[in-house]
Order: sequence, then structure tokens, then C-alpha cells
Amino acid sequence: MQKIVLNQTWKGMLMEVKRSSRTKTAVSAVIPFVLLAVMIGYVFGPGSELIEFGVVLPEISIEKVEFVDSEIIATVRNTGPIAVDIVMADINDRIYPAAIEPDKHLERFESAIVRIPFEWNEGEPYAVGLTVDDGTRFEKQVDVAVQSIQPTAEMISYFALIGTYVGILPVLIGLLWFPFISKLSRSKYKFFLALTVGLLLFLGVSTAEEAIEISANNLSDIFNGILLVATVAVVSFLGLNYVGEKLRKRAGASKLAGPVAIALMIAIGIGLHNFGEGLAIGAAIVLGEAALGAFLIVGFALHNTTEGFAIAAPMARTKLMIGKLAALGMIAGVPAIFGAWVGGFVYSPLAAVIFLAIGTGAIFQVIVSIMRWIQNEEGKLSNSSVLAGIAVGMIIMYITSILI
Amino acid sequence: MAVVIAVITLGFVGYLVVPGLDITAQEQPEIFVTHTGAVVQTTGDVLDPVYTVQEVEFDPEKYLRDFDYGEVSQLEDGTTLREFTIIAEDDKIMEIAPGIFYNVWTFNGQVPGPTIRATEGDLVRIHFTNNGDKEHTIHFHGNHPAEMDGIFEIVGSNGGQFTYEFIAGPVGVHPYHCHVMPVEEHIGHGLYGVFIVDPKDARQQADEMVMMLNGFDTDFDGENNLYAANTIPFYYQHHPIQVSTNELIRVYVVNMVGLDPINNFHLHGTLYKYYPTGTDMVPSEFTDMTTFSQSERGILEFEYEYTGRYMFHAHLTEFSEKGWSGVFYAKDSSQPNMEGYAYGS
Repeated sequence: MQKIVLNQTWKGMLMEVKRSSRTKTAVSAVIPFVLLAVMIGYVFGPGSELIEFGVVLPEISIEKVEFVDSEIIATVRNTGPIAVDIVMADINDRIYPAAIEPDKHLERFESAIVRIPFEWNEGEPYAVGLTVDDGTRFEKQVDVAVQSIQPTAEMISYFALIGTYVGILPVLIGLLWFPFISKLSRSKYKFFLALTVGLLLFLGVSTAEEAIEISANNLSDIFNGILLVATVAVVSFLGLNYVGEKLRKRAGASKLAGPVAIALMIAIGIGLHNFGEGLAIGAAIVLGEAALGAFLIVGFALHNTTEGFAIAAPMARTKLMIGKLAALGMIAGVPAIFGAWVGGFVYSPLAAVIFLAIGTGAIFQVIVSIMRWIQNEEGKLSNSSVLAGIAVGMIIMYITSILI
Repeated sequence: MAVVIAVITLGFVGYLVVPGLDITAQEQPEIFVTHTGAVVQTTGDVLDPVYTVQEVEFDPEKYLRDFDYGEVSQLEDGTTLREFTIIAEDDKIMEIAPGIFYNVWTFNGQVPGPTIRATEGDLVRIHFTNNGDKEHTIHFHGNHPAEMDGIFEIVGSNGGQFTYEFIAGPVGVHPYHCHVMPVEEHIGHGLYGVFIVDPKDARQQADEMVMMLNGFDTDFDGENNLYAANTIPFYYQHHPIQVSTNELIRVYVVNMVGLDPINNFHLHGTLYKYYPTGTDMVPSEFTDMTTFSQSERGILEFEYEYTGRYMFHAHLTEFSEKGWSGVFYAKDSSQPNMEGYAYGS
């Protein structure tokens, strides 16, 4: 009895020690932050005279220009190091009375809408300029003026239809390869699984490329485009890795669940990629680039049947589960519709870059999962059918991508 | 912890992605009028260089008919001596258009500098002080000895002094400006003004005014952002110049727009007699359009037969739509309510 009490006391004391040491750890973690804050406050804070050299220049970015009835609407963001006032608007370097909502004062990163009443002509190029309080003028060129698309029921269903053609139907068609793959011999099956890796490698690189391209063309330097893409992609890669690991553990040792989990991750990754494709199509239609929009629709549709194949491949060794397969097809395809809506109605380059970077991370995560799966099944990756599969997958994607 | 980070991240991304998300937006809608007369309502701020009431520091209304005849005294030989004090500064920040603040370099605190006026043959003495941080001079167009030319006699910064002295001539309208290199920069920032030499036989009585055509490259990209007659863009469009019908109007126009090789002047509703440089008493043209190269100037004489609002502006539409446009408001001369204007005091 005594022994137990003593034991408990010991335990209590030990806990005490542990707790106090935890507090100490916490304090020791915080101290450097406090000192850093004090130093920064001293060096940069009010009354400091240490850093008074140099000139800070204002910078704004016109992120979007829309054309509506008798009005041109520009979305502007303060992307500079200091707060600015927007004081003047012009079209083609001619000053016009305008309104800015919610107000003309923009703190760092804040954005506003500038409404410039102007009888614009369809199909002509325009330059929209905004001048800030120190007299610096910033300009955005628009190649073709086209009436902005409003989210009416008609337009929403139109974009949904396009998303269906680009995303859902091709993926479902691709899934029809399931019976073919399931009848293949072991080494041929490995080849087709590796082919999926090749397809995804290509998609991953192309998604990253698109994210970087959009950030270079439409985002201010302040967002560090490439680093933004890299950071978001890595975070999404790690996050999905964690989720995928959980999924696999929950599925337990069941041989069935493994392939489904992988197929699910492939579907999610492809879904994010298709969201990006939807964005591109929606944005192209909004920007009045009808020819480009049509090409994108045809190209992506061709391209996306291979995605159905990628989803079908890992599940080919399990028995046919039409319901699950179809659900995975929808997971991969439906985001194209959302992408088309976002791209068409609320296009924001920043949102587009973030979504595409998430897609990049997701795709590379899927690649790692499949490679790991092949390794578990096969024992090694340098199998000739695996290597050939990856190579052929990339080549197929490259060739179909040229068609776009 | 992860949830907190996620919420903060999403909040930040949402802030960046959704434009104009501001709960403090004002609720009272404001209205403004477009160039073509449409009335537009907004819940935000109006960006309008034309129709807001000007609160800029320089008053084009006053400058228009403000002539500085100097401190007058008689020399022993009967010559009229006119003495002027001009102080140069280069640290002023002026609101040259609503909301646009620009570092102007000034003669007597204004752009353009004061309109200096003398009669041919008067002795003009300018007491010049340079209170700027840079070297400045005053270079007058017209007749004077070489050492009064304001080129090689650089006046040092922070209190440097020089006295320019010459006999006023020839008759006409001339510019004066700083001639320190880079001249484009010194003129671009505002160191210029008008110098009028009246003939001994006074010109016909008239409603006289000065228009300095100028421009500002506010972002230093080699192109002017704003143009005006008398500095403030669109000023006389919003505040029409009051004139009377059937009364002679005389405008002294000087073009000091830099960066652009030419400027021009176009008058609506009537034509004017044009006297290039004002040096001849016989007009060279009867026209409504005159082209001015840099520092080119002349005198315009006209009158309005009918009442109403008449535009005057650069016929280079780029300039007129960037501020160089205004309106004469001609009223019936039988109901005079104009302030008196003096001539040749």
C-alpha cells in the first residue's frame, strides 16, 4: 500500500518535473522571438533614426480589366512597400473621370475596383492607366475588348457543359480501358502502370509551368511567383502525402484498399489538374480568345482520356467495381466545371496560380505513391517494362499536347 | 495549431483573392458626371480631374490676369526703372492636379513664375536669389548684354545672388527660364515664366490674359503625364474664363511644354489675329489654330459676337484630353459685372 502511494508521489513529482521542463522548453523557444521583436522594434520602429536612407517607391498592379456596358472596370492591387492613393484614371493615356470602390486609399496588398465610364468598341485593344499620388502612372494593356461574361444561368450551364466535355466525359471514356488492362500479363500491367507515371510526370511539369507562366504574366513581382508556386506545391505534396498515408493505414492490410486508395489519390491529383484546365478554358473564353478556347477544349478532351486510363490502371488487379470507378472518374473530371466557372466569372490570377501549384504538388505526390506501390509489388523500379512505361507515357502526353 | 495556421492562411489568401472586400466602405453614394454628360453613382471615391472643386495651391484664376510691373522709379535721365525680386526654390511639393503631388521648382513660389511686364526702353533690374539646393539662373529671351544672359553666370545654391539688368526689348511676349543644365529638368520642374514688353505706344485697350502652356512628366518616363494652360489640368474647363461679348480679348500665349516637340492652340466660335512673338504690330494670320514649337509664343487678339461657352484647347487631342483644355464663357457686354482690369499702370 505504502509502496503504491510512494510510487504515485514519485510519479506526481516526475510529472511536475516534466511539466516544468516543458514550460522551460516553451520559454526558451519564445525568448529568441521576443528579443528579435525588441530589436526590430528598436531598429525600424517609430523614432528610430538608424534606417532613414533610400527612397521607397509605390507600386500597384492592375490585375484584371473587364468591359461592361459603357464602362471599363479595372481591379487594382497595391503591390508596393507603402500605402498609396489612386488619384487618376485614363484609357489609352487620356484622362477620364472615374470612381474607385471601396475607396482610393490602398494599404499594402489591398485591392479595389476602378470604374471608368467609357464607350468602348468591341474587338479593339485598350490600355488602362492608373496614376498614384506621387504622379507615377501604371498601365495594363488589353489586346481585345470583349463584353465581360456575367454569371447568368445560361452562362453557368454553358460552362458546366464545356467542363463536362473536357473533364468528365474523356475521363470516363478513358476508364473504359479497365477491362483491357485487367486482362494483361503481370509485366505488361507493370508497363501500363508505369505509363501512368509518365503521363502524370508530364502533367505535373505542365501544371507547374502554367502556374509559373500565369504568375510571370499577371502577378506582381512582390508575390515571388516561382517561390509561391514552389511553396504551395511542396505544402500540397506533403499534406496529401500525410492524408494518403492515413488513408492507407485506415484501409489496413486489405489488399483491396491499397489500389483504391492510390486510384483515389490519382483522381484527386488529376481533379486539381483539370481544375486548372477549366480555369484556362474559362479565362480564354472571357478574354475573347474564342479560337484558343476551342483549341483548348478539343486538346484537353483528347488529352484527358489518358487520365481515365491513369485512374483505371492501379485498380485493374482488383475486381471490377463500376460504382467506385465511376465515382473516381467524377472526382477527376468534375473540377473542370468548377475551374471553368472560376476562370470565366471570378478570374483572379493569384487564385489560379495557387490552385495550379496545389495541383502540381498533388500530381507529384501521386507519382511517388505509384512508384512506391510498384516497388512494393515488384521489389525494384529499374525493371525494363517500368522504365519503358514512364518514357512512353511522357511521349504520348507530349504528342497529344502538341495538338492543343 | 494546424487549424489556426490553416484559418490564418485561408483568411490571408481570401483577402488577397477577393478584391475590394472592405467592411468600412462608405454607405453614402457619390455621383460624378462623365465627359459626355452621363451621371454615374458610386459607393466609393470619385477620381475626377475635371469636376471636383479645386483646392490646389496654385490659383490659375489669379495668375491669368496677374501682371507684375515691378517697383517703379525714375532715373535721372527720365528712364523708368522697374525692379523685381525673384527667389528660386526647389524643395516645394505642390498638388499640381487633384491628388497628384509633384516636386516643383519655383520662381517666387509658383509655377509658372510671375508675369514680368515692362515697357520698351525701361530699365529692368531683377534681384535674383537662389534659395534652392541646386544651382539656378534666369535666362531672359530678348535683348541684353551677354553677361546678363543667365548662362555662364551660374548662381550658387542656398542663398546665391545675382542682379540681372537690361533695357526692356524688343516689344513682344517672351519666356524667361532657368538655364542650368540639364535644362530640360530645370524647365520640366517649373522654372519658367512670361516676360511681356509693351510698346511705347500702348496697344489697344483689351481684356488681357496670359496662358503659359506647360506639362509635367510626373513619373519621369520621358513623356508628359499632364498638360495645361497655366499648370492645373482642366482648370479653365471647370472654371470657365469670364469674358464679355464685343470686347477685345488679348491672350499672351507662351509654350514651355518640354519633351514634346510641338504644342498648339485652337479657339472655338471665332478666329483671332495672330502676332508671332508679338514683335510686329501687324498680324501675320487670321486663324483659329496656331502651332507652337518649344518656347515659341505669340499674341492672340479676338472678340466674341455671341454669348455662350466656347472651348479653347490643344488640337493635339492627346494634350487636350490630358488637361490642356478650357472654356471661355462669353457674357453680354451690356450687363457688365466684371472686375476692372488695369493696363499699363
